Order: sequence, then structure tokens, then C-alpha cells
Amino acid sequence: MKRYLLRHPGVARLGVILLMLIGWEIAARWFIDPMFISPPSRVLMALGSVFATPNVPAALRLTFFELAVAFALAVIIGVVLGLAVGLSKFGNKTFMPIVLLLYGIPQITILPIFILYFGIGPAAKIAFGVTHGMFPIIMAVVAGVQNIKPILLTSARSMGASNWQILRHVVYPNMIPSLFSGMRLGMTGVLLGVLLAELYVSTGGIGYFTSMFTQNFDPTKLLGLVGILAAMAIALNELVRRGETHFARWRD
Amino acid sequence: MTQAATNTAISVRNVSHSFGEADEARHVKALLDTSLDVTRGELLCLIGPSGCGKSTLLNVMGGLIAPTTGTVMVGDKPVHGPMPNDIAFIFQENALFPWSTIHENMILGMSFQGVPKAERADRAQRALEAVGLDEFAGHYPSQLSGGMRQRAALARALSLETNILLMDEPFGALDEQTRMVLGEDLSVLLSRSKKTIVFVTHSLGEAVFLADRVAVFSARPGTIKEIITVDEPHPRKSAFMTSARFHQQRDQLYDLLHDEIRKSMAQSGKPKRAYEDQSSRAGPAA
Ligand SMILES: Nc1ncnc2c1ncn2[C@@H]1O[C@H](COP(=O)(O)OP(=O)(O)O)[C@@H](O)[C@H]1O
Ligand SMILES: [Mg+2]
Repeated sequence: MKRYLLRHPGVARLGVILLMLIGWEIAARWFIDPMFISPPSRVLMALGSVFATPNVPAALRLTFFELAVAFALAVIIGVVLGLAVGLSKFGNKTFMPIVLLLYGIPQITILPIFILYFGIGPAAKIAFGVTHGMFPIIMAVVAGVQNIKPILLTSARSMGASNWQILRHVVYPNMIPSLFSGMRLGMTGVLLGVLLAELYVSTGGIGYFTSMFTQNFDPTKLLGLVGILAAMAIALNELVRRGETHFARWRD
Repeated sequence: MTQAATNTAISVRNVSHSFGEADEARHVKALLDTSLDVTRGELLCLIGPSGCGKSTLLNVMGGLIAPTTGTVMVGDKPVHGPMPNDIAFIFQENALFPWSTIHENMILGMSFQGVPKAERADRAQRALEAVGLDEFAGHYPSQLSGGMRQRAALARALSLETNILLMDEPFGALDEQTRMVLGEDLSVLLSRSKKTIVFVTHSLGEAVFLADRVAVFSARPGTIKEIITVDEPHPRKSAFMTSARFHQQRDQLYDLLHDEIRKSMAQSGKPKRAYEDQSSRAGPAA
């Protein structure tokens, strides 16, 4: 039995998840006030009604849109700033300490300022997602540019490569695996930033409905919505992780 | 132009090179007033104690390092930077791009050099066949052994079809059996291609086995102390390696090198004071 489980870790994993769901089901049905928690079976059944709640699909779409835009901007800004900092000694010496300093600040402290500047609409959420997501990407790009083996640059130069060719065919591919690990961390950051901002204040996104379901003591729908968000996050993370393993295949 | 000059592939004139500014702590005089003519079609080995400036001289010849003083000419052109159409490099370290297959590595090298697109695949195939790696064109460098990787690097250099190959301890990281076989292969390749090769090595046997001439370096700051000639036609057979002449020439090289290696080790040895420090520190503690 033990040997079978060792050879099929997926089965054991599934078992653990099932056990947790059963525990939750039992606790929710018989031991905990239904004002605060719903059993998973009921949450699952209620998913339909969550979607049927007026404006919830639009809110989900809006949050997804915020995530996508924030992630795209984080990648673009992260790559550009990362290259600027990583490719020049001057840029590295001057800006890297600043990047590290900013990265170290818990950004939740400046969320109100974002709301003040960008309003309570999607712009603030996107901006907050971008500032969370771009730092790990900057760091990854800088690392990816700098961990290049000098002999590869020398060898490219000896074969007549121009600066542009070196950037395109040596620096860029060397950076890719690092960039993807940065993008995975960046995706986690974007999710954190966007959802934090959503929950803090929201008029049309997911945050609005979570606070509404909370205030109405409707844990079934609240859990359903949170579940949908979690699924969204897992799917997005998985997408980037796939990209990462795909592009890291040459790593020796 | 004189006959001698037209027969010279690379001419190095009074080249000195220092790393770092004169007032810096890590200022190193690597090469001192070195002059050398590499004859067309020969294989010239550079041998000397480690750190004596062999790689520096090779990189200066290939335009990868601009010397502090002195000049280098390739044919009738002064060297001011890489000359991909005349010179190809092979390094000790694996310099293949790890994200590309062997075939892609070769295509990329040729695109850097400016080979027309239509010719690249053909040339890659021929060069891979020449080093016996045609079956591994689709492999990534990490999937090959160290010896195969260096053969692939050789193929990439051959595909550039330059007249000159500069090789910096290309087999230095390989085990002795592999480097012997690769040495024989190189000798065969050489006799077919008529290329001019400058080959850095720290192996006396490799130098005598491969070279038409061996230039022996002095300890740092390096300069060429003596040049010996190995009169044996290419391709060289393994029988040459067991001949009396081979051993006699290797011993001659060893004699030339011996003193320089001692000097070079004295340069890098730790100052004696390190011992005194330790003993004085041990005193009060006990
Ligand atoms: N980029 C560099 N910066 C500073 N010193 C260097 C550099 N490259 C080589 N050196 C120094 O120059 C000397 C000669 O180096 P090198 O030509 O590589 O020696 P070899 O190839 O004969 O072992 C050594 O003392 C080495 O430490
Ligand atoms: Mg060297």
C-alpha cells in the first residue's frame, strides 16, 4: 500500500484533499454556525446562483481584465527597467539599491495613496497590481542579464556579432529562464496587488461583491466567489509555470 | 613586400599588455615586449607556466584585447578588433550557446560572421561531418560529453572557413585519453585544411605531438623565451608519440620550462609571514 502510494503521489494528494473537504463538510453541517461557514457541497451547488447574481459575471470579467492588464504592464515595465539596470554598470550601481529599497516596503501602506491618485475604479487596482508584480520581474531580468557566462559574450564577439545580435541572440535567450521565474513571482504579486485593492474599495469588481456577501451573512456565496477567485489565480499561475518549465528546458 | 612577409599569417610586434590602470592594486603586467611571426599553414603551440600571458597573447592576436603597446598584423591588415572573416576562436571553457542545439549554434555563428543564409546548413553539415558529430546536430550541448562539446566548438569554428584558428587550451578540461584522440584528429584535419593554427596548451606531450613549432614563454610578465621546431609531417601517427625523437623533444621542452615554472610558482606563493601570524596567535590563546 505504502509503496503504491509512493509510486503514485497524485493519489495520496487527492486523498488528502478529499479528507479535508470531508472534514469541512462535517464541521460545517453539524458543528459550526451556518452564519459563518457553509459546507463545500452547498458552496458547489451555489456556484450557479453566484453567477446568476446580477453583475457578478461582469465583476469577474472586470477583475480578470485588471489582472491581465496589470500583469502585462508589470512584465513590460519589469523587462525594460530590468534591462536598463542590468545592462549597464552605471545603471546597476545607481538604481539597484533603490529598487531593493522600494521592493522592501510593504506596499499596503501606500494603498490609500493609490486610491487617492487613481480613484476607486480599475485604474487604482491595475496600478497597485503593477507595483506588486514588477519588482520580482526587474530582479529576475537583472539576474538573468548578469549571470551570463562571459565566455559566451567573448565567443559571440569573436564570430563578429554586433551589439544588437549579442542582445538578441545571447543576452535575451540567457535571460529567458530567469525571466519566467520572475514572471511567476510577478503573477503572484499582481494577484495580491489587484485583489488587495479590490477588497479595500470597489464599485464594480469582485471586491464589491465580497463585501456585499459578507455584510449579508451569505457565506455560501462568499465562499463560492472566493473559490472562483482562487481557481482564477491557480489557472493563471499554472499558465506561467508551464511557460517557465517549457523555456527552461535547456538549462544544464 | 618581401617573401618572408607574404608567408606570415600573423605578425606580432613589440606587444606589451597590462590589465588595470598603473596605479590600481590589481594592476598586472601580463605581456612584456613580445614579438612573433606565425607562418602560414603552420601549427604553433604556445606553452608556459600558468598565468604567464598565453591567453592574453592569443586574445591580442585575435583582436579580443587591444594591447597596451605594440601592433599585430593579420596578413597586411592591422588588428583593431575581432576579425571574424580571418580568425576563428576555440576556447577552453564550453563556449557553445546552451539554449541552442549544436546545429543552431553553428547557424548562429555563421549568421554573426555574415555567411549568406542559403549556405549555412550545407556548411554546418560539412563541418559536423569533419569532426564526426553529424549524428548529434540536434542535441543540446548539455547532452554531450566534454570531448564532444569541444569537437562541436571546433566544428563551429571550421564552419566559419577562416584561414586562422586560435585555440586556447581547447582540450585542457578533458581527460588524457580523450585529448590524445582529439589531438590525432586535429592533426589529420590540419594536414587536409592547410589552416594556420595557434594552439595554447600546458601539456608538453600535446605541444610536441601537434606543433610544427613550439614557443616557450617565460614567467610573468610573459615573453617568448625560445622557439623549438618539431620536424615531423602531418598527419601525425600515434607511433610518433612513442618514438625516441618525441621523447627527446619533450625533454628539451621540459628543460626550457622547468626554471620558468619555478619562478612563476615563487611569484604566486604565499608570503612567509602567514606562518608567523598563526604561531603568534596560537600563543596567547593557549
Ligand atoms: N581580465 C583580466 N584582468 C586582470 N588580470 C588579468 C585578466 N586576464 C588575465 N589577467 C592576469 O594576467 C596574467 C596572464 O593571464 P593569462 O594570459 O590568462 O595567462 P595564461 O593563459 O598564460 O595562463 C595572469 O596573471 C592573470 O591573472
Ligand atoms: Mg590561459
